[in-house]
Amino acid sequence: MSRKHDVNKEIENEVYCGTLPVLPKERKYGFMDALLVLSGYCIATWSYTQGSYLATLVGFKQLLIGAFLAAIFMLMIYQLPVILSVRYGIDIWIWLRSVFGPKGNKIVTIIIILVNFPWYAVCCELFADSMENLLELFGIHLFNGAHLVLSLSCVVIGTVIALRGVSTITWTTRILVPLLLLVGVAVVVVGFTSVPMDVIWNYQPQLAGDADKTVNYVLTIEANFAFVITLVGGMAEVPRLCKSEKSGYYAGVLGQGAAGSFFVVVGAVMAIAMQYVTGKMVDDPTLMMATLSAPILGLSSLLLVAFANIGTQAVGSYIYGVMLKSTFKKSSYKLLVLVLGIYVALLCVWGKITEYFGSFLTIGACVYAPLAALLFVDFFLIRKQKLDLKSAYELPGHNAYQYSKGFNIVGIICLALGFGFTLLIYDPIQGIIHNKILFMLTPTFASFIFTGVLYLLLSRIPGIRRYIRRDTHASPDKRPFDRAKTPPRQNLFMLPILWLICKITVSPYKLKIDKHNMEGIKPPFLVYGSHNSFMDFYVTPLALKPYRANYISELEGFEAFGEWIYRQIGCLGTRKFINDQYLIKNIRKVIERGDVMVIYPEARYANVGTNSHLTPSIAKLAKILKVPVVTINMQGNYLQQPIWNLKERKGARLHADLKCVVTKDEIDKLSVDEILSRISKELTYDEYKYQLDNNIVIDDEWRAEGLHYPLYRCRKCGRDFAMTTSGSKITCKYCGDSYNMDELGRLHSPSGETIHIPDWYEWQRGFVHEEVREGKYKLDIPVRIWALPNSVNFVDCGEGRLIHDNSGFSLEFDNYRTEKHETLKFSAKSMVSLHTEYDYRGKYGPCITLSTYDDTFFIYPTDESRDVFNPTKIQFATEFLGGLYK
Amino acid sequence: MDRDNELESRIDEILKAEKENKIPRMTKRDYIIAAVITVISLLGIIGGFLL
Repeated sequence: MSRKHDVNKEIENEVYCGTLPVLPKERKYGFMDALLVLSGYCIATWSYTQGSYLATLVGFKQLLIGAFLAAIFMLMIYQLPVILSVRYGIDIWIWLRSVFGPKGNKIVTIIIILVNFPWYAVCCELFADSMENLLELFGIHLFNGAHLVLSLSCVVIGTVIALRGVSTITWTTRILVPLLLLVGVAVVVVGFTSVPMDVIWNYQPQLAGDADKTVNYVLTIEANFAFVITLVGGMAEVPRLCKSEKSGYYAGVLGQGAAGSFFVVVGAVMAIAMQYVTGKMVDDPTLMMATLSAPILGLSSLLLVAFANIGTQAVGSYIYGVMLKSTFKKSSYKLLVLVLGIYVALLCVWGKITEYFGSFLTIGACVYAPLAALLFVDFFLIRKQKLDLKSAYELPGHNAYQYSKGFNIVGIICLALGFGFTLLIYDPIQGIIHNKILFMLTPTFASFIFTGVLYLLLSRIPGIRRYIRRDTHASPDKRPFDRAKTPPRQNLFMLPILWLICKITVSPYKLKIDKHNMEGIKPPFLVYGSHNSFMDFYVTPLALKPYRANYISELEGFEAFGEWIYRQIGCLGTRKFINDQYLIKNIRKVIERGDVMVIYPEARYANVGTNSHLTPSIAKLAKILKVPVVTINMQGNYLQQPIWNLKERKGARLHADLKCVVTKDEIDKLSVDEILSRISKELTYDEYKYQLDNNIVIDDEWRAEGLHYPLYRCRKCGRDFAMTTSGSKITCKYCGDSYNMDELGRLHSPSGETIHIPDWYEWQRGFVHEEVREGKYKLDIPVRIWALPNSVNFVDCGEGRLIHDNSGFSLEFDNYRTEKHETLKFSAKSMVSLHTEYDYRGKYGPCITLSTYDDTFFIYPTDESRDVFNPTKIQFATEFLGGLYK
Repeated sequence: MDRDNELESRIDEILKAEKENKIPRMTKRDYIIAAVITVISLLGIIGGFLL
């Protein structure tokens, strides 16, 4: 009982300590130490099996190339991610949680064990072979079924040793590695001295008539790729103990690529020598030594090999038992080791593991190759050498790697497709080549490339990238967006697709486009559009058809849909309400190359379906560019999806007026004010008036929900942030004053009063202006801040403080760029308006944004400030302070 | 809970060590050497087809 308790406790500690990140001061291994440990792992007796297998395929020279160069080539690539293990002191099983999710990782662990554990059945088979062969040399013939009894006895003894726990295993390892080295040395000496050197050097296998030499060589390379790649499971725990990245990396490469490969070659030499002497190729070192030297040497080597095989079986059961225990924490270590023992025993009962050695190698590689590719791409190209350790260890509150209920669907799909891809190239069971061209790359390497490229491409799709990179806070991409980059012309191949998407999107809303004064107007020209909702981006391309155009877009669109696609559809990225000189240069380039430039000058969606004031700068720009000015006034877009509730309203009907307001001849003659006046006149709109005039019925029951964001002040009691909405009603939570929104967008009080929504909206503006004038306006609240530096990711800046008063905005926070607590100032006069959101992307709630040249800060209320944070009121104050409204 | 605390403090220490480069990083030179060895190995493998 006491012993049982001790083993369990030991294993618990081993699992716990074995998974903790190893601190720099605790690191034990320099390069040589790690090399010796990893070499010890690689030189198990299965190296001989591998060597004799290779000798059946190719001549000795090609065998040498395969064993050393193929192994080193593959190791140089797939060992690179080991750098992360060294850097963070963790093994890859912890890291894999980021690639597959914690629960997905459990499945992968089981799969890895399933494909890896046949190695130990090979050991048991070798043990049984050794025993049988040697007894036969001494004239002892065993009964039928003795082979199975012997191999099972290896399983049983190995399992018993593993069950005895850490200290027994430690001793086993101490004895095992020198023993294996001793056996290896003996095999080398006997192998190279018992046959002439040129027999080995010039060796060529006796191939069947239909055998293809090239295919055999590729199979050799494949076998070596597979051999080194499938050993990674057992070696994963060593690099985290290394003192430098270089030592961990090169110890892994040379441990397998040099030491491990050397013993593979030794196995091949042994097999060639045996064939030369006896005419029969064997992979049993005991038999070789007994045959090629003296039976007494065979007898002593028997003891060595027997213990080596049992020891390898024991160490394997222990390593994978601990690995399983760290994954399945509630299961008993003993039970897990027994399950592993039963699995090996079943493989021994099957009895064909040696016969299918090559198949099992390739099947193992089918799993390991995509796994290695995922690690490689994940580490270098997706997570950029950073990991959120707290999420990897599933610490409370750190859930970046939970994905879909603990499974990273993307990683799992890539693994499955990578596996399937290998089988499409080669059937490892029957040895049938399905695709000879890809087979030349070897199934393992082809699968490695395929999976890596697939994972990388998927990670470039914005939605998938956001799914995979929930840990951006740990390693955000801080590179500022390149505003200076010349925008490409709208991609001609994308244009029909874009039009088709636009057509499909607008079709339920019966879009009607009217064109005025557009006869003879050809690009280049400048388009100023009204800005109501995202629908604007679908209506405008259809209105401008057949011409291609470029559009100005806020950077968050690039983040949402992906930079590549946004550039292909002609978007110029910028940040709102900054003085962006690069944008002006790029607009000029668009015009100079003869295209249409579309600008939404309000730079924000209409809050209640009415236009904002426009600034003279848009008229000045038109004069500078000296091209015709066209306006596009779109109606119904707001009604279809108002910014305060992004649910689509099917009853909306769309209409757009495209009109040339200034011809090329007029552009020099008209003054800035005259041009501005013409543009402003055409871009004046009132969506609720349009709804009423055209009797557009929007009867969704939830039609008023969210309206309290723009209509925040109670008309009766005069309190700010008083309104709430439900269904078609907007109600004051203090005085109970209530209005019902009818199906034509009007508000009705129970007393019969009818209110036009934009009137209420503008009525509120007056109070804010008054507050500002009297110096009473001040907002000073805690906020949550996310920065958007580029089109790749948001950066969590944590909590900060936002102050807004007559001097402008102050944002106090931990600046991720400088890593200092700083206050950014945005002067009142520098901003004529403010970008606001009421429920950002339909799930993040209300926010405002403030921009510098390199960052857009998305500012959300905290729980504490939620009740006093209203984007509309902040916008009113900003526009008044910035001079947009007098 | 104690284990969580220990884990968290270890992680903080690891991240601090990372910032201070306490575990020597692979340098650009190391990566170049690795790339050269990889290319040589690949050329060797391709050369093997000729044997």
